Amino acid sequence: MVLLMLLLVVFGGAVLCSQSAINGRLGAEVGVLESAWLTFVLGTMISFLLAFYLEPHAALNLFTVPRWQVTGAFFGVVYMLVIVFAMPRIGTAAATVAVISGQLLMSVLIDHFGWLDNAVIPLDPSRLCAIALLAIALALIYKSNVARETEGAEAVAG
Amino acid sequence: MVVLAGMGLSVEAGLLGPLGEATGQLWATLGIFAIGALLLTFGLIFGRPRLGLLFSKPRWMLSGGVLGPVYVGALTVATPHIGVGLTMVGILFGQVGASLAIDHWGLLGSAKRQVDRYRVAALLAILAALWLIH
Repeated sequence: MVLLMLLLVVFGGAVLCSQSAINGRLGAEVGVLESAWLTFVLGTMISFLLAFYLEPHAALNLFTVPRWQVTGAFFGVVYMLVIVFAMPRIGTAAATVAVISGQLLMSVLIDHFGWLDNAVIPLDPSRLCAIALLAIALALIYKSNVARETEGAEAVAG
Repeated sequence: MVVLAGMGLSVEAGLLGPLGEATGQLWATLGIFAIGALLLTFGLIFGRPRLGLLFSKPRWMLSGGVLGPVYVGALTVATPHIGVGLTMVGILFGQVGASLAIDHWGLLGSAKRQVDRYRVAALLAILAALWLIH
């Protein structure tokens, strides 16, 4: 089960990357807000159709669960705005690394304390080692992005 | 600010898991997209929208919207089973892996690039981290 779920999220990450590749081009040509809007409107339409026809009745629905549980989208939209604002100022390399660090830090905290009604998964030595490995991975991603940015600058200059 | 924004993404995943358990996973996905769409529509009304341009583009460029629910759905289904941390690391692995594949074969209209050694090494480090957490 765990392995299956892991495959699912890896697949989700791959899909997210293709999506940002597609939306990145669209955003550059049409505008960031417009491309994000299209993503969310299409997402709403598709998930509504799926949920309406396929989802069995649950005890609670979106209107009866505690309101704070339905605030996830605000974080997503704030994230998008911050990225659009920050990317040109600090560069893709630094932005990517900052986002991932924030993500990992917060997810470890949520797991450790079981915030937001999640199961408690304590921070143990093997998790700490994993975090060290991820820090290495981040440093490598940063290097690769910096290499890319200079390559891009040369292409523009040339 | 960017670090905080990244933390927000994990909070989003942390909220989605329990919400999906309560209402059903597809409804939770809908909750994210419907509220996001409302907020962005507000943004567009006060901006200077050029929506017409969207539909003059080749259709495949609009397909990003179809992929969004796959990602949100995966978050919703997986977090209750494996936790937010492992979910995020898995997503990261998928992203870096896909970025390598996109570069290598020049998929989705991006330029073809040489396989980037830094990224391959990063992918291996993430894989090791996944195994450790798991």
